Amino acid sequence: MRRFGIIFALLAVTQVAFAQDWDPGGALKRLAAKADKTVDVTLDQSMLQFASGFLDTKDPDQAQAKKVIANMKGIYVHCFEFDKSGGYSTEDVASLRAPLKEPEWSRIVNVRSKHEGENVEVYFRKEDGKFTGLVVISTEPTELTWVHVLGPINPDDLRRLGGQFGIPHVEIDDKPSTKKGESK
Amino acid sequence: MNRLEEELKKALRQVEPPTGFAERVLARAASAKEKKKARWLWVLEWMEASTWRWAAACALCVVLATSGILYRRERQRKGEEAKEQVMLALRITSSKLQIAAQSIREIGAPEGPQR
Amino acid sequence: MREHQRMVFSIAYHFLHNGAAAEEVAQDVFLELFKKLGTLESRAHVTFWLRRVACHRSIDYARRNKGAAAEVSWDELPEPSHSIERGQAHHDPMLTKRLQQMVAALPEKMRMVVILRYQEEAGLEEIANTMGIPLNTVKSTLHRAHAMLREKIGQALGEANV
Repeated sequence: MRRFGIIFALLAVTQVAFAQDWDPGGALKRLAAKADKTVDVTLDQSMLQFASGFLDTKDPDQAQAKKVIANMKGIYVHCFEFDKSGGYSTEDVASLRAPLKEPEWSRIVNVRSKHEGENVEVYFRKEDGKFTGLVVISTEPTELTWVHVLGPINPDDLRRLGGQFGIPHVEIDDKPSTKKGESK
Repeated sequence: MNRLEEELKKALRQVEPPTGFAERVLARAASAKEKKKARWLWVLEWMEASTWRWAAACALCVVLATSGILYRRERQRKGEEAKEQVMLALRITSSKLQIAAQSIREIGAPEGPQR
Repeated sequence: MREHQRMVFSIAYHFLHNGAAAEEVAQDVFLELFKKLGTLESRAHVTFWLRRVACHRSIDYARRNKGAAAEVSWDELPEPSHSIERGQAHHDPMLTKRLQQMVAALPEKMRMVVILRYQEEAGLEEIANTMGIPLNTVKSTLHRAHAMLREKIGQALGEANV
């Protein structure tokens, strides 16, 4: 009986350690309350491993997905859609960006399209010379997307991500870039 | 090594377990083995006891097999659902990275001016 | 088994600061060893396995029995009431006892790092592998442990020598 207790405790600790859906400053919760439509995908390591067993390696997309998620500890995606622009505030976006100013995070991409009103920021977390986290913040007038991938992340996996799942492949430069304008 | 470390080494020297420790461990190991053996014997005796118990055992097997099938179906369903979630997450991530990369290519610099 | 029983018992004893608890943990470790013996490849593997399981079992035991006997709070530990002349500390059993109490009052992870370092004379990488934590964490934890212990016992050891 005690043995099962120990095993259970060990499993519980492992689950807690891996369930890391990050909500910087409570911004995601606020956005969910304001959004007209929300898409949430929360996959911790155990779920990724579970899902991996069902990916069909005969399907090229699924085979690639299996490789990409093989070492990941979690993927957390939150998409918020608003019926009209102004649905989210600059404070919301600032809350999302705030923890990414810590030294272990680097913003490697900040692309702004004034014409289309879309902004995409990509941040990498580096520890001991390895990429251990990825955050993508995408803002449009009526949509905000937050993606948090918990690593380790291989830059090759990132390139695979950019070139699969029905989306054409594009090279992504992982050198740090200087800040140039903030969105909203 | 400094003074603190020397003192720590002294303080944390290995100590002998109480007398008879090894014997107590071996006794526990032997007792655990006996319990395991006794459990199996009990199951065998129980099964030999009477016919209705055999019937009950068969019924139990059927129930277990059925719940096994149901469990597998449910697991399959959950697995497919998880798989769809993974693909959705990767598509969304991919599309956003694609937007960023495409813009970089169009502008021709790691971080360009506004379009 | 006799060869390793000192190591296993000592890890548990210095961690839990309780003989009965240490024996219980040590017995569990050896019972588990009997089941796993077939999977262990060498003497060195056995030693590594025993050390690792002893660490984890001791930490589990402490967490399950929080608040039970022999838990010492770091903040409640008084500083030694006397300072010791240089050279005298070498043979002071009270200092040894005080240090053992201080180690037992350290936070769990820190306590185990200190025990592995000074009881087992394990290298930092070995400690990281045994406990399943990053090497940098071991380094910073040990550094903080020294600072905390020095703060409490620095006077007793003669500050210049610490």
